[in-house]
Amino acid sequence: MIRQLSVFVENKPGSLMDVTSRLTEAHINIRAVASFDTPEFGILRLVVDKPAEAKGCLTEKGFVVRLHDVIGVELEDKKGNLNQMLAILAEGRINVNYIYSFVIREGKAPVLVFSTDDYEGAAQILKDAGVKMVEESDL
Amino acid sequence: MAGVALKDWKEKIRDPKIECMSRDEMSALQSGRLVQQVKNVYENVEFYRKKMDEIGVEPGDIKGIEDIGKLPFTTKEDLRDNYPFGLLAVPQEKIARVQGTSGTTGKLTLASYTQNDVDVWGECVARGLTMAGLTEADRIHVCYGYGLFTGGMGLDLGAKALGAMAIPMSSGNTKRQLMCMEDFKATAFACTPSYALYLAEAAQEAGIVDRLQIKASINGAEPWTDEMRKKIEGILHINSFDIYGLCEITGPGVAMDCIHHKGLHVYEDYFYPEILNPGDDTPCADRETGELVFTTLAKEGMPLIRYRTKDLTSIEYSTCECGRTLPRIQKFTGRTDDMKVIRGVNVFPTQVETALLSMGGGVAPHYLMIVERENNLDVLTVMVEVDERYFSDEIRKLDELKNKVGAALKQALGVSARVKLVEPKTIERSEGKAKRVIDKRDL
Repeated sequence: MIRQLSVFVENKPGSLMDVTSRLTEAHINIRAVASFDTPEFGILRLVVDKPAEAKGCLTEKGFVVRLHDVIGVELEDKKGNLNQMLAILAEGRINVNYIYSFVIREGKAPVLVFSTDDYEGAAQILKDAGVKMVEESDL
Repeated sequence: MAGVALKDWKEKIRDPKIECMSRDEMSALQSGRLVQQVKNVYENVEFYRKKMDEIGVEPGDIKGIEDIGKLPFTTKEDLRDNYPFGLLAVPQEKIARVQGTSGTTGKLTLASYTQNDVDVWGECVARGLTMAGLTEADRIHVCYGYGLFTGGMGLDLGAKALGAMAIPMSSGNTKRQLMCMEDFKATAFACTPSYALYLAEAAQEAGIVDRLQIKASINGAEPWTDEMRKKIEGILHINSFDIYGLCEITGPGVAMDCIHHKGLHVYEDYFYPEILNPGDDTPCADRETGELVFTTLAKEGMPLIRYRTKDLTSIEYSTCECGRTLPRIQKFTGRTDDMKVIRGVNVFPTQVETALLSMGGGVAPHYLMIVERENNLDVLTVMVEVDERYFSDEIRKLDELKNKVGAALKQALGVSARVKLVEPKTIERSEGKAKRVIDKRDL
């Protein structure tokens, strides 16, 4: 299980930097980042080394932050691997809300992060299919 | 049509006996009506009997209009507390119609009229239409909303009393408005000033101004400037007039300005105006600004004694160049509360607060209303600070939240609002009372 931070940001210059500079100040390491936006606002999603601490420091600075359980799976960089993993989820009728990837893991395989409403079901299906899931401690 | 220049204007007065009455005669008329009205409310409205008993005033203490200061006030909150029919001075079966306006919270402010009240209302609007140079030969295109809002019905009743033709368009659908205006050969139209300007520009854009037979417009229900009036007059080549009223007192037709545009003539034989110092409620001197307070001297259904409008203005008693002795109230300079008039609808921040409670969490989030004018139409944006209780990780849920808030606001306010979700703590906190409204309109 990976705990992801979701931060509400307005769509205006500097709003992402506001978040990252707070985390830098607090010596928190960002492992992955993805942002999703509308014309007015966005959600910045982050995987960091110390999620609870990161949430505390951002909340203190007035950000709205949520910790959200997401699933991280290891995918070797081979053709069709993503498709295969998604096929497993589709067969299991698991709905993926959003998905993003991060690659920088000092020699280890890339990780793909996704969110689903059926967290337990997805974890079980992936486990049964032999897909390797990543824990926070592996990051 | 060409607007009439002031030098060529021929003033018409519907009821010269009343509208040009000497001050002494008017005072005598008002005194007689007030004495009667106070006796009426004391005997028939429990609310007033209690209020008068509390401050030790009996009907016999009121001998004339000069004693009005002895009487208790009535507020919008009193109307809310006695909603819907608690202030009737006649049995329910005598009520011929109701009209409503927004209240400070979810409930409406409701006014009840007997048939006589409806007739008086029409008569007052007809005086105003005459002031705008209209006669029974005219065709009046009413694009105020018809319904509980008094705008549409008020102008309709006025046209009827005048013997003119009413075109009951109601609001919206500008293309259709212009088509009917042209096809039915309307000679006057009535709507909010901002919509009048919007219509004027739409007519200009469509290149149909020369084909219209409009000579006058009657515009009110929201504040506007002389510049705006001149703009409407300039585009359509007409004369525009400012009409004022409030549902609690009767609706449009409480006061209206004449061609000289030196303030709005109050029909003081029916609606007695006082201007009071906001600090201590003492009467203001002539031309001094204070809160406008009305007493309905002849209303039967729901008479109101010293009703606080919370509008700030001044009054002028000198005889007008048009010949009328009716006093003139000036354009409003503000309010004693934070009510805003948006597209003709009264909007209170408290209503926004109530609507935002529907977001859940038990406490309304921090918000700010911004009122602007885009293409001559009022636009309300409500900025809402997102907080942890309703922040979701997913864009679609935030969009849903935004739409839900928008729908709740529309339902509560009666006007649509844009919702903008903003980061927490980004709306400025002012010291003491929170600033809930920023009005960027140049009124």
